[in-house]
Amino acid sequence: MEGEIIQTKLDLINVKKDLIIGIRECAQRGLYHSAKWLAEINFSIVDVTLPPDVHTSNDLPLETEAYLLAKSYFDLKEYDRCSFFTESCTDSKARFLHLYSQYLSIEKKKLDNMTDSNCPPDPTKNNALRQLCAVLKEDYFLHKLDGYCLYLYGIVLKKLDLNSLAMDIFTDAINEQPLHWGAWQELALLVPDKTTLLSLRLPDHWMKSFFLAHVYLEQLNSEEALDIYYDLHSQGFEKSTYVMAQMAIAYHNRRELDKAIMMFKDLLHSDPYRLDNLDIYSNLLYVKEMKTELANLAHTAVNIDKYRVETCCVIGNYYSLRAEHSKAVLYFQRALKLNPQYLSAWTLMGHEFMEMKNTNAAIQSYRQAIEVNRRDYRAWYGLGQTYEILKMPFYCIYYYKQAQQLRPNDSRMILALGETYEKLEKHENALKCYYKACNLGDVEGTALIKLAKLYDKLDEADNAAAAYTEYCLKEGDQRGVYETENEIYNAYQYLANYHLKRGQLEDAHAYAYKCIEYDEIKEQGKALLKEIANRRGELEAQLLKSTDQSNQNLTDCTNDGNVSNMEMVFSPLNN
Amino acid sequence: MAGDTDTEMKTVHTDNINIDNYRKLVQTYLNLHAYNTALFWADKVVALTSGNPRDIYWLAQCMFLLKQFHRAVHLLRSKNLDKTYILCNYLTVRCLLEANEFNEALKVLNSMDMEVFLQANTISSYNVSVEAGMFDDTPKYQVQSSVLLLKGRVLEAMDNRGLASDCYKQALQCDVYCFEAFDALTQHHMLSAAEEQELLSSLPISQQCTIEEAEVLYTLYKSKLKKYNTIVGIVPNKNKKLIFNNTPLQTSTVVIRKNFANVLDTTRDTSTTENTNISENEVNKNLDNKVAMDPSETSVQVRLQNSLDLVVSQAELYYYNCDYVQCSKLTEHILKQDPYHTSCLPIHISCQVELKRSDKLFTLAHNLVDLYPNLAISWFAVGCYYYVIGKRDSARKFLAKSTSLDRLFGPAWLAFGHSFAVENEHDQAMAAYFKASQLMKGCHLPLLYIGLECGLTNNVRLAERFFQQAQLIAPDDPFVMHEMGVIAFQNLEYKAAEKHFQDALARVKPIKDSIVPERWEPLLNNLGHTCRKLKKYEEALEYHHQASVLSPQSAGTYSAIGYVHALMNNTGEAVHWFHKALGLRRDDTFSTTMLNYVIEQLSIEQLPYPDAPDYIPTFELAATTGEDNTTHESESINAGRQISASDMSIEIDISDANTFIKE
Repeated sequence: MEGEIIQTKLDLINVKKDLIIGIRECAQRGLYHSAKWLAEINFSIVDVTLPPDVHTSNDLPLETEAYLLAKSYFDLKEYDRCSFFTESCTDSKARFLHLYSQYLSIEKKKLDNMTDSNCPPDPTKNNALRQLCAVLKEDYFLHKLDGYCLYLYGIVLKKLDLNSLAMDIFTDAINEQPLHWGAWQELALLVPDKTTLLSLRLPDHWMKSFFLAHVYLEQLNSEEALDIYYDLHSQGFEKSTYVMAQMAIAYHNRRELDKAIMMFKDLLHSDPYRLDNLDIYSNLLYVKEMKTELANLAHTAVNIDKYRVETCCVIGNYYSLRAEHSKAVLYFQRALKLNPQYLSAWTLMGHEFMEMKNTNAAIQSYRQAIEVNRRDYRAWYGLGQTYEILKMPFYCIYYYKQAQQLRPNDSRMILALGETYEKLEKHENALKCYYKACNLGDVEGTALIKLAKLYDKLDEADNAAAAYTEYCLKEGDQRGVYETENEIYNAYQYLANYHLKRGQLEDAHAYAYKCIEYDEIKEQGKALLKEIANRRGELEAQLLKSTDQSNQNLTDCTNDGNVSNMEMVFSPLNN
Repeated sequence: MAGDTDTEMKTVHTDNINIDNYRKLVQTYLNLHAYNTALFWADKVVALTSGNPRDIYWLAQCMFLLKQFHRAVHLLRSKNLDKTYILCNYLTVRCLLEANEFNEALKVLNSMDMEVFLQANTISSYNVSVEAGMFDDTPKYQVQSSVLLLKGRVLEAMDNRGLASDCYKQALQCDVYCFEAFDALTQHHMLSAAEEQELLSSLPISQQCTIEEAEVLYTLYKSKLKKYNTIVGIVPNKNKKLIFNNTPLQTSTVVIRKNFANVLDTTRDTSTTENTNISENEVNKNLDNKVAMDPSETSVQVRLQNSLDLVVSQAELYYYNCDYVQCSKLTEHILKQDPYHTSCLPIHISCQVELKRSDKLFTLAHNLVDLYPNLAISWFAVGCYYYVIGKRDSARKFLAKSTSLDRLFGPAWLAFGHSFAVENEHDQAMAAYFKASQLMKGCHLPLLYIGLECGLTNNVRLAERFFQQAQLIAPDDPFVMHEMGVIAFQNLEYKAAEKHFQDALARVKPIKDSIVPERWEPLLNNLGHTCRKLKKYEEALEYHHQASVLSPQSAGTYSAIGYVHALMNNTGEAVHWFHKALGLRRDDTFSTTMLNYVIEQLSIEQLPYPDAPDYIPTFELAATTGEDNTTHESESINAGRQISASDMSIEIDISDANTFIKE
């Protein structure tokens, strides 16, 4: 359904006009990130030239003295001064600066105080923020907030954990100022699922496509995100580094690692000093264990800017890959000092703590990550793992379930969930989980054998046999690894017994024969073979005695599974 | 006063000395505050006139101003003037009062028969005291009023507050301009709000002044009345009730609040809903620039707004409506103009305590103690500073000093009580509050606090009784209503509790969508708890969510929401909210226990994954298709399991909601 939204052809000239206005408006309000984003988009359509009559650069309204003063203070990060001198200003820009500088001042102080202690600031000590919120609330009720101030109100609400309210406010803000990318971005973080997304009343603006793609990416809905990005790509934004980076992230989420790495390489080629999203690139390199590339990336990043969160993450990943976990933690901590809301660092730090067996710290980190973004499945998964260590299986189930819901097509989550169910002796649930994991591809390759064992436990002999057979087919050629070997001969043994019980002596013989190949069950294998030989003898004798009756019997045995249960009792090696 | 020229008095013509000149000298030096010089010459005049009562009176006056109280008393009484001249009597009593000899003062007061004096005045027949009663042309009713006021003060100092308040009332009846009497009645909380109202309407204002003046006086006095039971949304109109009678009543609170700002330029536009951005700063500016405004454009009322007293009463109003930021802005503005505005200081200090601005309190207290070590308010400020920074012992020390300087200083007594209350010293706290309640008969706060302490010591019945008393005094105070609700809740009378809370909410939030001060978060939460008890879960959730909007990121609210969800069998939601609560307060045993329970429940009742089949799937060889989604979704296995409140004995602790009202 996003197809119909996208199909409207973009009018690049209008887009450019919008962009120029947007850049100016955002820059005048000190919204530098939005201005940067808009400027990047604008740069990517550098070929588009505006007709001369549209140039509207010299109708700038005269700025008031107070605004100019405040703006210069603002640029120098003297926020309190800025807010003081704009206190009585009524024009929208100065008013926004007044409020925004107050907000930034609060945030800056929080950060500054954090440098003394390593812990994140206590969220309950937020009196100043609450007061700012009260001021904004009052203005909001009087309808005195313009689009930018609404955005600020939303930010404050979000900080105060009033997310549903914040979502409404951001929607208002976007409807008033569709060119302010920051508001879109914040909204994207708050939209919990697709149904909510589709119920939002958003303006029909070209920015909406960027937003939708962003949201889909956030919601790990990579396919739809990629569709939109391809579309944007083809409509004139092919040079946009932003679109490229987003596509790379989408590939990353789809676990098409090589493609993602390619994209990032291209990206760095056209924009070598870019640090944005490099943390994801470093994750990719980490997963692929490309040590030299990662080292190279770390060096480049340090050269560009040592004190950027992305740089710190890249270095952290680098150290982690070299198994220097405490050093890695140090760098993630540095990243968090620079920006306590930086999601990747929290999650990665959690992983490092896990490596260092510091479960408490790991839990803290993961929880913080979830505070920042509830959709971080890695953090949920990590939490599940820590609680597994702490032997709190119910919590474990909850966390794995969260992770699984975020990544319904990832077999690792559901496998972990199944293992926990198994620990709780909820075999049916566990079995369902393993089954699903197998259906999803079973990345780690352990789901199948677990499934087979559970089938066995639940007396589903046919299913168990089927699963074991499949397992043997898959894993039969992989030898040497101790664990799999163990599983494999167990499988052979089971299958031999199974077929023996059902009188399928040929199959039984084949599997029993395989058993002999392994030292541990050589004896059992031999015993089985003996048994098979005995049976064969008996069978032949029976055949000779009464052919018609025994034929009947034989067909019964082979066709009817119910009989096999009975026969299991007689079998000597019923395991 | 400067009635030196009256010649009715016998002047002794010595050779070439004009005694009137000396008398003039005395007056001049008195005006110049050169009391010693005045005393010297007054003494000579007395000598020259050989004891003219009027001259003796002035001599005593000089002594009084020199703080030689006993000397003055002795002078007046040795000449027996305190029995014959009303003004001399008055002065004697004044001196005795200053010298803290209350019994003596009362004796002297009673020795002069007021009735005779009054009759002498009214009948105006020949009587010595008629002439002698008054030296100057001070109007008799004012003298009478002053005497009554003085009597009131003496009685109050002797802890006879009932009689004292009668005296004040009489004084006010005699002279409606006698502000001191009115102030004593209101500031010392002698009357309840209703009684104050009654007093104001019973005053013979219209008889004693012109219509215009009457309006002014009425407005001014009204601004001094109690404000506990008033809501910003309704009351600020009082200040300009005469100016725009046509203010639309349905304007929202905020707009009305703004009216205050608009008062100054009302004549230009009365439409209060326009969207100009009037910040408080502008109000201040307007106030500053007021003088520059064209006087013809502003009425008397409007110009009177310039008086700081009226701004103080506005600040007080904000204070009682828990809008401390706004209040603090106003008081700071006042103190900028008049750094030691006495009636503003208590409000200002209390406000800073509420906002926990210890730095400001520190500076203020230092200044005050340096300048006015003899004022109770200075030490009150010091005590408050220590209270805010958590050093209760020191706080008590200085608050005690404050109360010893002025035993009638109610706020210090209350703060004294609070300093005990926060340390859970319930008995001591109650003792302090009792003292305060004796001093402030017309104020319900001490009773309210006593009730709270009773409640905290599990004496619910007693607590209820105190709250009822408090409610008698201030029937409209939402705080009292709230506490009544809490008591009802504790008595398991949830219906009644809900009603009380709803009443309180109606007072706090007169208009839908209006802004409720953050302070009222417990009220909403308690409403939520009550609704939960009444099994109105949806409503309970609604109230808790409102509370969390008022005061975001509160662990208590979150776990209450989680609890309601748990009772509604929204196990997933419950887990989410308990997690949030524990994120903010890790040692919350209630949430921990609940979370353990709920998360276990969740793992039982939820499917392993969203579209899990309800049967054991069969495994097909080499078939990796997952198209068995067609199976009908199974209902959760144990969905019917009911969590009853009884098997979870932990109850959300409502008592900590009680304490919020302190400080």
